[in-house]
Amino acid sequence: MRRYDAIVVGAGAGGGIAAAVLAEAGFRVLLLERGRAPAASEIPRDHLRNHRVSLHGINTGPEPGGHPRVFVDTLGRAGVVYPHEADYHNNAMTLGGGTRIYGMQAWRFDPLDFRMATRYGVPEGSSLADWPIAYGDLAPHYERAEWEIGVTGGCEANPFAGPRARGFPLPPVPAGPESEWLRAGARRLGWETVTPPLLLNSAPRNGRPACTGCSECIGFACHVDAKNGAHNTVIPRALATGLCELETQAQAASIDTDAQGRVTGVTYHSESDGAARLVSAGARIVIVAAGAIETARLLLNSAGPRHRSGIGNHSGQLGRHLQGHFYTGAYGIMPPEVAYTGAGPGVNIATTKFNHGNPGIVGGALLANEFVSTPIGFWRGGLPPGTPRWGAANKRAMRELFRRGVHVQGPVQEIPTPLSRVELDSSVRDKFGIPVARLSGTTHPETLRTAEFVRGMAEEWLRGAGAERIWSWPRPLALSAGQHQAGTCRMGPDPAESVTDPEGRIHGHDNLFVADGSVHVTNGGFNPVLTIMALAFRTSEAAARSLR
Amino acid sequence: MNPLSAAEHDLLRALLDRLIPADDFPGAAGTGVENYVTGQLAGALSGRAGMVAEGLRGLEAEAKARHGKGFLELDGQERDLILADVESGRAGGGWPVPPAAFFDLMVNLAAEGYYADPGNGGNRDGASWKMLGYDPRVGPRGGP
Repeated sequence: MRRYDAIVVGAGAGGGIAAAVLAEAGFRVLLLERGRAPAASEIPRDHLRNHRVSLHGINTGPEPGGHPRVFVDTLGRAGVVYPHEADYHNNAMTLGGGTRIYGMQAWRFDPLDFRMATRYGVPEGSSLADWPIAYGDLAPHYERAEWEIGVTGGCEANPFAGPRARGFPLPPVPAGPESEWLRAGARRLGWETVTPPLLLNSAPRNGRPACTGCSECIGFACHVDAKNGAHNTVIPRALATGLCELETQAQAASIDTDAQGRVTGVTYHSESDGAARLVSAGARIVIVAAGAIETARLLLNSAGPRHRSGIGNHSGQLGRHLQGHFYTGAYGIMPPEVAYTGAGPGVNIATTKFNHGNPGIVGGALLANEFVSTPIGFWRGGLPPGTPRWGAANKRAMRELFRRGVHVQGPVQEIPTPLSRVELDSSVRDKFGIPVARLSGTTHPETLRTAEFVRGMAEEWLRGAGAERIWSWPRPLALSAGQHQAGTCRMGPDPAESVTDPEGRIHGHDNLFVADGSVHVTNGGFNPVLTIMALAFRTSEAAARSLR
Repeated sequence: MNPLSAAEHDLLRALLDRLIPADDFPGAAGTGVENYVTGQLAGALSGRAGMVAEGLRGLEAEAKARHGKGFLELDGQERDLILADVESGRAGGGWPVPPAAFFDLMVNLAAEGYYADPGNGGNRDGASWKMLGYDPRVGPRGGP
């Protein structure tokens, strides 16, 4: 059996960092990724099959067949779902994970985001809790992520942001007419705005070129490799040490343990040689970073004599508190004099004024303008209500409004609940015979109140800016894991109430770590990837210390 | 490959061209949207091919019941009046499939073919993108 110092499961935002930190510290690492390692040109620029519009498929893994999940709706009806369907709650499964095709927003959480229960109290039926660590514990790791992966952004004041010791390594992306128009609107309302930080080469850096501002951005792989993700930063660094072995098309089946319950390695299905075969590899430590759904699934599938309901499930918490972001916002039509540029990424302006301090409301969200839209994306979601759906009138509306549509939205901080969860399905299995994830529950109803407040503020912004038409609608109670999935292995000091300790180590298993959004206690009112990266640096450094 | 008969294919093309008609810019028929639709019905949406064929039969029957002639023999306005009733479910009885569901599928497929990338089979020469002024690959800060 091959033996390593560490096995990392999942080569996304968290796992890529874990591999780099450990390999650069001189340890032998096996990095397992269930997806493939396609070149950008091999990730289709298909407008119907991408991570923004996935009507008939997706452009990265998993493949359509052989990887089902089960989704239980609010009426309790269970059904099999496939990767391109919304209820699957997919994140790109490919080398780099979601960072391959993402929108790159690189926000730090606010200090208050780590203290939600203390700040707001715990709504009845929710599992809202404080993190066991504070903003200050993560600040140096946020900085590391910003500089080592590469973040562009502005340095305007953000009313709830924590202190930062250093600016961004890359200059801001130039603002366009839409964001100038929104900025003027915010000024009229007396609102502060900020330039959203992005994991993007706004200038050449690390041997890769600058963003060209093309209109096929979010949901697609970057055609000039200006998106900074795990695949083009930390994973190449890990491989350059000569100490990290990367194996793609490797689906983890279980975390292996000895008779005492100590973690000894990983068993996985390897398809890299064509035919599938079951392989076991040994390691002194294992770091799981497969995303909040697949990490929970793997741990649940790793039952042993000492942990019969899954490894890390000592208190029945594993898989619970599944959350993402409850997006809400408002649409509008800009006056014709606001010029359309089609410039990607498109997210150029935000306000973080409503992340906290909203009277009678728990938490809040940032509000930002939307990524550049494809025509079919706009046809499906951007036309005003009442527009005829077909015929000459629909075509005319597309022609008149495609270049004038505006959408302001934000990731509402969810109030978690233990009933929103990942379990194993008792009958459905994937193509390897491994029980699949069964997703059920919704966010806590309190989240809806926050969302309604945020929706009102989004409309207010568009009114302040002078939009010609403004519309929006409330969202029903739903599960919102998706690309921002988090929470299923929440960290905490007390093993009775959490899955991992404050360093990301599974309680009771001192050589098993989690380095993805699973450990988030709450998910902030921001896109979570920079927090996932910062925590991955922090947890991997602890893991490296444990190996010394 | 094409799951529809030649007659059904002609009817499909005519239907799609009313959903996205030509004006100063080409419509569905002028940009190959029917190729996108038949490609989908032969592939990812093969489970819906029967519904589409039956819906097209329903449309033809509706035209004959109202005008005593086939859909292809009607002028644009007559076609649109029928389609508005199909959309709202007000079409006459005897439809082999729920008319509104059939119509909803066709509206979505028409837009997908017309507005998605030409690689999907419709939007020939990027005609709809030219109409909208959308150029996906060339950004204001340089091209690929």
